[in-house]
Amino acid sequence: MTEAALDPAAIRMEQETGHVPPPPVTPKTLNDQVLQMLESPGLGWLALLAFDLVVLLVGGLALRNQIVLGLGVAGYTRPVMWAAYITNFVFWVGIAHCGTLVSAILFLFRSFFRRAVYRVAEAMTVFGVLTAGLFPIVHTGRPWFAYWLFPYPTQRELWPNFRSPLEWDVFAVSTYLTISSIFFFVGIIPDAAVARDRAKNAFQKLFYTIFSFGWTGSQNQWKHFYGAYFYFAAIATPLVLSVHSVVSWDFAMAQLPGWHSTIFAPYFVAGAIFSGVALVINLLIMIRKAWKLHHLVTNNHLEKLAKLVLLTSTIVGYSYLVEFWSAWYGPSEAERDLFWWRATGHFWWAFWIMFTCNVIIPLSLWSKRIRTNPAILFVICLFVNVGMWFERFVIIVTSLAHSFAPGTWEVNYRMSWTEAAITAGAFAWFFMFFLVFLKVLPAFSIAEIKETLRAPLRGKPS
Amino acid sequence: MRWLERLIEKLLASSPPTYKGVLGVFYYVDDAAATVRDLRQAGHTGLSVYSPVPHHEIEVALDQGLSQVGWITFTGGVLGLTGGFALCIYSVLSYPLVVGGKELVSLPPFVVIGYESMILLAGLSNLLGMLALGRLPQLKARGPYDARFTEDRIGIWVPCAGEEAARVRETMRGHGAEEVKVHA
Repeated sequence: MTEAALDPAAIRMEQETGHVPPPPVTPKTLNDQVLQMLESPGLGWLALLAFDLVVLLVGGLALRNQIVLGLGVAGYTRPVMWAAYITNFVFWVGIAHCGTLVSAILFLFRSFFRRAVYRVAEAMTVFGVLTAGLFPIVHTGRPWFAYWLFPYPTQRELWPNFRSPLEWDVFAVSTYLTISSIFFFVGIIPDAAVARDRAKNAFQKLFYTIFSFGWTGSQNQWKHFYGAYFYFAAIATPLVLSVHSVVSWDFAMAQLPGWHSTIFAPYFVAGAIFSGVALVINLLIMIRKAWKLHHLVTNNHLEKLAKLVLLTSTIVGYSYLVEFWSAWYGPSEAERDLFWWRATGHFWWAFWIMFTCNVIIPLSLWSKRIRTNPAILFVICLFVNVGMWFERFVIIVTSLAHSFAPGTWEVNYRMSWTEAAITAGAFAWFFMFFLVFLKVLPAFSIAEIKETLRAPLRGKPS
Repeated sequence: MRWLERLIEKLLASSPPTYKGVLGVFYYVDDAAATVRDLRQAGHTGLSVYSPVPHHEIEVALDQGLSQVGWITFTGGVLGLTGGFALCIYSVLSYPLVVGGKELVSLPPFVVIGYESMILLAGLSNLLGMLALGRLPQLKARGPYDARFTEDRIGIWVPCAGEEAARVRETMRGHGAEEVKVHA
């Protein structure tokens, strides 16, 4: 019996929504169902990967164009010298937050529904950070000097400025990539052992032997595995909260209207979780449909994630309103002017896309009927991600376009095709990793789902 | 490609069985836990138990105690915290750039570097601690192993020989082992 099958409410809900009641799951069928995803790819998967690689190629050509011709081909127009690339950076770091939330924070809170969804969320985290990490490098214009960001001894004894939020970012994002990758790969160890023991040829066996580190499932290994897993969760939780706070300080530490605000850290963290959970819902819905895993990822799981989207949407909506309130009530005329301009000026459309997608549309999730309807939920989560991309765009571009110097207010940023192609290429970069992940590593935690099955007991008195 | 496949198979093949002992395969958790208790009472301390998921009953029967990995993680965290602060302080003192007469060693911004370094080193130590204490990586099996142990069966391996092996075999059978193999 699965977690869902053990939960009478989940069974009722499955029946009410018309899904076939979950078949009885045994350890063997669970192994088979998760490992069937690793079988030779079908036409659909190959076609998706081919399309993805074409988009990635276009993005790569645009990047080549920028490297050869210089940053002039990006749409930067003084004073808007941060635009699509930094928007993408913040967006992808935000996407990356869901994995650690689902795997670490919900693990510490003993929220068992995470077991069926956390591997997908963790994979999304690792690939999200890999995508985010590209953009500061793309934005420098001279990516071959990106290593200057890291502290290393030089002949001139010149060090990076550790008082700069941009240097904090280097530490925060690289730490996040390292820890979330370790967390992801450590979680895979027992499942890779399952795949190794069922490998169909020597290459598969070698591959999964490497990923499983030769795991045998001895009690000694389990003891240290769960000991370490607890500490990973314990250190990843403050890490996830710090990373987007540090990213928000890239802006909040500058004395620019629209950026210089103490609300930024919690506001960014809530926004990150909001967009990350929305994307993980999208991915889960697609995966369970493609591999017919409705009994592993039930509507009950999706509903619980939808509640997280609703919660974080209200925090994000509250933050938007508080920003306006602070501007209206506070002493800064420049701040007041900026916020009025943000909602009614040149970029009014971006602001209202953001507000509609992130605040108004998610209000529909108060309805249980909508939360438990995967098709509607999928569309709402798509809107959330569009809205969250625009949120970063609005914060970055409108604040720079309407700073202290009125003479620059008429200069308006327009995204160039190079930026658009690199942005699309980043999505392709992310999905390329994700598609490959689905075919080479178990996308669901076999061991943790197995723990929810009833342990076989003969019932002898001990 | 066939030669490569054969080479990989050879590399991954278990070493010839030089070990001596008894391997029991169990389906029921309470059977396995009772076997472990009896074997330990009979003086077998070096036994290994394999299972697809950890079972509390078996942990208790083995009297395992808590993992010590937390201390390794803590040490890494302390090193990371001090290392992060030390890096920042060393860098500003080794190349002083005084801006607006402000203090060179400004601790509040260095907290971020110290904090992130603490988490980074704690995480890396946690990983190394887990691998070292769990005796991983283990690319070749060190004892008899069965693929069913990653599905739904529990294995108990007891290193022993001679008459002792016969007694262990009887204990396992008495507790409902599905299969008992003696490696002599």
